[in-house]
Amino acid sequence: MELAGKGAVITGGTRGIGKACAIGLARAGAHVVVSGRSDADGAAVVREIEAGGGRATFAHQDVRRAEDWDRLMETTLRTAGRVDAFVANAGISFAKTAAEMSLAEFRDMIAVNLEAVFIGLQRATTAIRAHGEGGSIILMSSIVGKIGAPGYMHYGAAKAGVRLMAKAAALELGPEKIRVNSVHPGFVRTDMTAEFPEDFMASLTPLGRIGEAREIADAVVFLASDRSKFMTGAEVVLDGGLIVR
Amino acid sequence: MGRLEGRVAIITGATRGIGRAAAIAFGREGAAVVATGRDDSAGRETERLARAAGGRCTFVRQDVASEADWGAVVDVAISTYGGLDIVINNAGVFQVKPLTETSAEEWRQSQSVNLDGVWLGVKYGLDAIARTGRGGSIVNVSSLMGQVGYPGAVAYCATKGAVTGLTKSAAMEGALCKPPIRVNSLHPGVIWTEMITSQFGDDAALADAFAADTPLRMVGRAEHMADALVFLASDESSYMTGAEFTVDGGRGAD
Repeated sequence: MELAGKGAVITGGTRGIGKACAIGLARAGAHVVVSGRSDADGAAVVREIEAGGGRATFAHQDVRRAEDWDRLMETTLRTAGRVDAFVANAGISFAKTAAEMSLAEFRDMIAVNLEAVFIGLQRATTAIRAHGEGGSIILMSSIVGKIGAPGYMHYGAAKAGVRLMAKAAALELGPEKIRVNSVHPGFVRTDMTAEFPEDFMASLTPLGRIGEAREIADAVVFLASDRSKFMTGAEVVLDGGLIVR
Repeated sequence: MGRLEGRVAIITGATRGIGRAAAIAFGREGAAVVATGRDDSAGRETERLARAAGGRCTFVRQDVASEADWGAVVDVAISTYGGLDIVINNAGVFQVKPLTETSAEEWRQSQSVNLDGVWLGVKYGLDAIARTGRGGSIVNVSSLMGQVGYPGAVAYCATKGAVTGLTKSAAMEGALCKPPIRVNSLHPGVIWTEMITSQFGDDAALADAFAADTPLRMVGRAEHMADALVFLASDESSYMTGAEFTVDGGRGAD
């Protein structure tokens, strides 16, 4: 098991892509600390991982709250003992034109999808530095961090910010063997995309189907492992060819 | 269970460097590999190394710019291993020379191997994978120099940039196959293989200088690229097509 003895933290790990990543990382041998806002969903993920023979811990977290970050990192060091991989996955999404959006809504999007990723990067860096053996930080962006989408000006701004944050962090942290890459999913079957008709999403995607959360998790496990030890500052696009059209 | 269990792969330029490392890694992951290249004795050594690692591997002499050779290589994959699922278009030549000193003949030689060879590999690969009928994955080994410039590498960058674009259109065609055939490009940074050392010298001080200029403070090894190629060839990347996969130690991030 390529992540045996490693500690992994994933924010927003109670549902969707994050949950699949948590399960994938645990299956690869890591002790996974899952954060999220739903205690019930968090407990369910932990149960599922433990039933499969893996190790996991849940920490309640609203990524906008500093004290929740403190608790997450304390919980991680107490249970997993160390951080080798960190996945900044928590995010929100809603469509609204700029004309209809309030500044408060814009700021809330930026707070969760951009500012909290920055805080996560800082916290993860500190935790990885504590053992000095390097690590892998994975930032969940989106194809909307690379291309425009009407109604998603706020979301695109946050996700594009994450994309370049990963590159700057890769340059800063590379000498310490802390790798930072961004992941850019297209349409993936989760609660976040449930509002869109599947046929519509599939019709926009050259591969002719939407993605499954497991397919994003496989790439995240690859990025967390030593199989990608020469990879940093890169964008991993998993979209069935959508942005190439 | 290997990541490539039951798959048949063609890997070009497998007589050394990234191609050889990939042939060994693919065999270890359960694939049957047709390893190709122009150097018979080096090709047989790749075959021996891949088999010693537990894989199935057959070397076939091939000039990737020769259409006739492509037909023969595909025939070997089908007759020996029963079909084709994966093509790794890895063969390439690299020459560092200022633009004003590069002859048209040298330019054409670069285009012939690095671009014509990949085009033929995609053309024959799509056809043979579609006929096999299991879907599949084609990976074109471009370069960081298919994304950014480098002094003395005008011809090389032109070929690798073309491969980057060719890959995206090929991905759109591959997506129409049923089941689909994925096509992605890999963009290695400085990988310490003969392709680099033949131009710059096999000099530890030089490797250190490249490492110092790379965010991860290391040069890449062929095995790192083999890991990436296994990922791109396998179902682990099943929702990825038309994408640029950069593995460069962070050189391209600035």
